[in-house]
Amino acid sequence: MEKYDVAVVGGGTSGLTALRQLANLGKQAILLEAGSTTGTKNVSGGILYSKKPKNGRVYNIEDVFGREFIDEAPFERAITQYILHATSKDKLYSIDLTPVHEYQINYAYSVLLSKLVPWLAKEASDMSEKMGGGIISGVHVRSIRWETGSNDTVIETDELEPFRVRAVIAADGTNSELADVTQSRNKFSSEQLYQGVKVVIKLPETILEDRFSITSEEGAAHLFAGDVTMNHIGGGFLYTNRDTISLGAVYHMDSMMENPVEPSRLIDALIRNQFVAEFIKDRVPTRKANQALISKDEEIRQHFMAVKLLKTWNNLRSDYYSRDGIKRLIESGKYKTREEIESRINNLEKELVEKYNCEFGDNYVELEYSARLIPDGKRCRMKTPYYKNVLFVGDAAGRGVFIGPRIEGLNVGIDDAVRAANAVARSLDRNNFDEQYLGSFYTKSVEESPYTRDMKEIDKEYLKIFLDCSKHIPKDIVGSRYGMIFKLMSSSTLRGIAVGFANMLGFDRLLPLVESVDTYVNVPVEIAERLGRHVDSNYIPNTPSLQERIAKLDYDDDSVPHIQVTKPRSEFMQKMVSLCPTRCYSSENGDVILQHEGCIECGTCAYDTLWRHPRGVKGVSYKYG
Amino acid sequence: MPVRPLNVGVIVKLEPDFSEGNVSYNPDGTLNRAETKNILGPHSAAATLAAFYCKVKYAARVAIGTMGPPIANQALKQAQIISNADELHLYSDRIFAGADTLATAEVLRLGVSRMNNGLGADIVISGHRASDGETGQTGPQTAWKLGYPFIGNVIDFQIDPENRSIHAKRFISLYGFYDVIEEIQAPLPVFISADPSYKPSFDTVSERLSLARNLNEARSKAENFEKYLQVYNSEALGADPRFVGLPGSPTIVYKVEKIPKAKAKRRVEFIDGNDTAQLDMAAEKLLQLMTEAPIK
Repeated sequence: MEKYDVAVVGGGTSGLTALRQLANLGKQAILLEAGSTTGTKNVSGGILYSKKPKNGRVYNIEDVFGREFIDEAPFERAITQYILHATSKDKLYSIDLTPVHEYQINYAYSVLLSKLVPWLAKEASDMSEKMGGGIISGVHVRSIRWETGSNDTVIETDELEPFRVRAVIAADGTNSELADVTQSRNKFSSEQLYQGVKVVIKLPETILEDRFSITSEEGAAHLFAGDVTMNHIGGGFLYTNRDTISLGAVYHMDSMMENPVEPSRLIDALIRNQFVAEFIKDRVPTRKANQALISKDEEIRQHFMAVKLLKTWNNLRSDYYSRDGIKRLIESGKYKTREEIESRINNLEKELVEKYNCEFGDNYVELEYSARLIPDGKRCRMKTPYYKNVLFVGDAAGRGVFIGPRIEGLNVGIDDAVRAANAVARSLDRNNFDEQYLGSFYTKSVEESPYTRDMKEIDKEYLKIFLDCSKHIPKDIVGSRYGMIFKLMSSSTLRGIAVGFANMLGFDRLLPLVESVDTYVNVPVEIAERLGRHVDSNYIPNTPSLQERIAKLDYDDDSVPHIQVTKPRSEFMQKMVSLCPTRCYSSENGDVILQHEGCIECGTCAYDTLWRHPRGVKGVSYKYG
Repeated sequence: MPVRPLNVGVIVKLEPDFSEGNVSYNPDGTLNRAETKNILGPHSAAATLAAFYCKVKYAARVAIGTMGPPIANQALKQAQIISNADELHLYSDRIFAGADTLATAEVLRLGVSRMNNGLGADIVISGHRASDGETGQTGPQTAWKLGYPFIGNVIDFQIDPENRSIHAKRFISLYGFYDVIEEIQAPLPVFISADPSYKPSFDTVSERLSLARNLNEARSKAENFEKYLQVYNSEALGADPRFVGLPGSPTIVYKVEKIPKAKAKRRVEFIDGNDTAQLDMAAEKLLQLMTEAPIK
């Protein structure tokens, strides 16, 4: 059996950070990724933060990947605006939370993981190869075991011969199979999880910048609470990327279980909000069926011509509204001036309208639909994130910062990964993989992380900034229950005492009060109704059906399902019929049955099923992530 | 004693790209070679993959050779991307023109002996046959000329570098029935032809790491493939003019006939997906066809 020093399971941002950090420390590690290549299985909201807390230190991505990350990595935009909107029908009230967003940060970039992760993978594998390690993709880790009389761990996969390692870093995400097989934690339950659904929407670069009033160096984030949540705890988000928009909905699983609504409908509710609709609006062609009596052959010929022209129109327009694109077009000598390109686009449009029955109107262009589960660190972080010589990091350890509008996952996983890699390197140096030496050391390091503090305590200063941002809201609006808390919190002395008391009590006890339908729906609705301005949109977005959304995704379906339904009649499973984001479940004579084709591996149903990731290469591959 | 590194030679053929839209014909119906795009033949690609397997698994040195006009170097570039080859040989000379399989085998025999810095090859790999020749003779004839044992239709093989032997599985299809997998052990040097279905598998961590490394290397090497290209003419190969080209070819093509186009039996019928009556009709027809179809 082959033997290596370390196995890193999972090639997301945490796993790759662990691999790179180990390589930085001169250690050999093998990273195993189930997707056909790294980055195809990753989904995030996604903002990647780099932070500088006042107390303690965190490890940021540039600490591991170096200055090159800032200079070369394909992130989308630096997020410089952060605005929360309370919505109620056509009313909207906005609160600028930029100071909250900028609290203790170096930067925050919007990211699309299918673009960013391959870059990280290349950087990490180049370095790791020098240490005799590297990345192996298309391999699904099935199980791990320990042989009697040996400290080594045997890694078993669906694709490769088993091999031995001395330590394992588990970065296999929220639905960690390593956590399952080692039974080092329970599966996350609905009160510990949020479900996130996202669509990536196309919007040409300079149109996007005009629309959000940002420069090429800037980006905007908009958050939504109120009636767009359809009475769920959570909210919507809109992040600007380079020439796309990430629009998503994140809701607490408990409230989804209580009030099951199909996740794609929650996204639709967000898209149909008139304010959002105006943000994502673009010029979109539609083609009517030809009413004239023409032969089938002629119809097909016309169709192909129209498709060809539309493609040209689309590419040219994307280039026209992109800085690099327009430069490329003029440098290539194909066009001399901007005006020439513009008139070419207009001519194409004219030809499409006159000859091929096309119409151009307002709509939006959806590129990709995705979903994932997000662990709420304050409710489910592993207190001892290890089992024997297996260290859990990021989502696998249930670690994410989830406080009101503040959602941080990527940076927490990166910080964990560095700590795990450092702990493993220390053990390799001493050849000591005892729990006391490795696991306890790692646990201690993670406990010292400022992110863990954020999962345990209320940060007084953060709260103050938050309250300052919302000070224009009349106190009586939020109801007597909140009015009192608000009043209490506006005085700095009283706030100090109250927060101190809450932290002593354990702030998780306050959660039912803070994270409630009142906070996320009723209060914002009232704010919008009473203070909001009227917003209007001149079109109704034509949202694709779920079938159309699924049809756009890339799959390599396995012949055998990776999920087994064990309790087809349970209440939980009945709810999955609505809550599965791709409607893989249906009910037949009271039994819930699964059709695994179309599954996007989010894990919503994992709690009450035998849930595994698909075998290597199989399953969904995201293009944006 | 350190084990001697494994030297692998592959012989490939540049073939017209027969995929749709890429073939062009002369007015008389013969193939217009000048206009038709050329690619590394699919069978040659299978042979190249087998060489890549040796490269990944046994860190072999790989040389790839082809006989053809100067444009054949594109096939060599393609082969290098697939196999991360260390040497690319082009055997090109006007006097090689008009060669049949035997005369080609003579050139390839001489080429193989010059591979891998003149060390030749412990394993020579060819494709099953060319898609524009279809005889499948060049491989075995080259083996015969080299004096190597020949193993055809190989679907899997392992090398024992220490004992210098090969353990190969070959796929034998007897008239489409009674398919047999034959296992053969043979001493090196050996000549194998890769079955069209050959696909290497890499089952251990070290092989996968080596795979990733080799794929990267192959990409960067192929960008400057000319650096690895060696062109040999008849003189450089030391060929005897009596055994190469037209004089060395005992077979003569005396006429090429156009194959009459078979009349299509299929008929296309459009049905309207919104019309239930038409859908019913289609379903009925399908059912009828499936009931009539013999079970094989």
